[in-house]
Amino acid sequence: MARTANPYAAEIGAECLKLLRAPEFIIPSLALPVLFYAMFGMIIPGSNQNAPYLLATYGVFTVMAPALFGFGAGVAQERERGWLKLKRAVPAPAFGYITAKAAATLLVAAAGLAMVYAVAGFLAGVELTRTQWTLMLGVHIVSALPFVFAGLTLGFLLGANGAVAAANLLFLALALLGGLWIPIVVFPDIMQQIAWAFPSFHLAEVALAASGAGGDRPVGLHLAVLGAMTGGLALTATLAWLRQR
Amino acid sequence: MLKETSHVANTSKIISARGLARSFGRTRALDGFDLDVEGAGVLALLGPNGAGKTTFVNAALGLVRPGEGSLEILGRRPGDTAARSRIGVMMQDAELPDLLTAREQIALFASYYPDPRGVDETIELAGLTGFADKRYARLSGGQKRRVQFALALVGRPDLIFLDEPTTGLDTEARRGLWAIVRQAASEGARIVLTTHYLEEADALADDVAVMKAGRVIARGTAAELREQVGGSLIRCRTRLDDAALAALPAVRRARLSGRYAQIAAADAVAALKALFQADPEVTELTVRQPTLEEAFDTLTTDIEEA
Repeated sequence: MARTANPYAAEIGAECLKLLRAPEFIIPSLALPVLFYAMFGMIIPGSNQNAPYLLATYGVFTVMAPALFGFGAGVAQERERGWLKLKRAVPAPAFGYITAKAAATLLVAAAGLAMVYAVAGFLAGVELTRTQWTLMLGVHIVSALPFVFAGLTLGFLLGANGAVAAANLLFLALALLGGLWIPIVVFPDIMQQIAWAFPSFHLAEVALAASGAGGDRPVGLHLAVLGAMTGGLALTATLAWLRQR
Repeated sequence: MLKETSHVANTSKIISARGLARSFGRTRALDGFDLDVEGAGVLALLGPNGAGKTTFVNAALGLVRPGEGSLEILGRRPGDTAARSRIGVMMQDAELPDLLTAREQIALFASYYPDPRGVDETIELAGLTGFADKRYARLSGGQKRRVQFALALVGRPDLIFLDEPTTGLDTEARRGLWAIVRQAASEGARIVLTTHYLEEADALADDVAVMKAGRVIARGTAAELREQVGGSLIRCRTRLDDAALAALPAVRRARLSGRYAQIAAADAVAALKALFQADPEVTELTVRQPTLEEAFDTLTTDIEEA
């Protein structure tokens, strides 16, 4: 008998089922971003003028939840239950699990982005050129990377309860202090400086630049900071992974 | 890893372990562990908690690296891909994802192996019919164990490790799992199970290796081992001293502790007859079977004396 299925495809299918069946994951990942965006970019009177700006920041917010919660909380829980150890003992491909988690996370993030973009384009009247839409979507999808590495670090270092708590804290800090919910320009100076410590801030700036509404600083500077932060997080994730093996 | 000079692997050699040692901190989990396993059948690694059974299984799976000694599984280095693709395992402490059904987990594991069983066939073989489409979280303890066992079976492996498969199950669930393990064994796989229940080794294994303090201290069929460790423990009050008691026929060991004499007898009836002859005034007499711990003690003592 031949292989019943490709192990990567089977693993991705299993990860998608797990995500779709977990309301504590689906609600912050899919429902919250589009509700918040509709509220602050459309429903509140006078908020329509903010819709283009908030699309850039809420797009980052949308990919953040699946990456942090799927990887942080999900990996910690399955590691603690011995599931990862069992997979190391059987002929599962070494990176199948991580690859599948990444694919499932991206699918959920893409679904979340589709809803936010649909509200922006069809309901809130955001108007961008085709190039700007495409560039911004690209930035939003790549935004998952630093959060995936941050989530993996939590997942490999902390127990299940600790990882859920840490992912929630990190999620709030990245969203609020990175200026994803409320535009960073309305914050006091000191807060604007603190925002530089958060990848979410730089991602939002790059997404704004892609939509043709960049800030005072050159986008290259934000990209350089992001590159360094993502590299650092990739390193900590690798070290955390090696440590738990 | 290029050291595989014995490239003509003897295919009937399933496990070959020589002088394995492994410490965790100051605990020596494995300490001079030797084991040879060939052909099909069920081998029980029997021993008390802390004897090193799980450490050996983890070493055989390539999850723990022995500090000393040599270990080959199916003629390969433990944990290499070729070995893993012929191994199925049910771990002592591995829980499956709560949100997937048995059928989904089995299909996933089937995808890992080169020549797996069909999903439906596995469901039937592992006795999951009736709850194969329920989420794992909603299953009973015994049902969960069966799903874990199904994952060990689905790859049609040549070697299956079952680490404490029935710990925490009630008698009925335990007997149900035994029946399924026996059926799987009849299909020709080599099964290595660890247990601290003598009864379980007795019910399932053709071959038993008794472990204590990180090594195999005895090997044989369950019947042979029972004969070695069998016998009875007699407790009574008597005026005889321990030397006199030990000299009685069929008595292995005897000692006085407090007001009572403790006698380990190979044959309780013969020993009691002699005891009553030597001291007709024996009182407060009890006779019982040794517990597993006591049986292990007898075994180690006998071996050290031999």
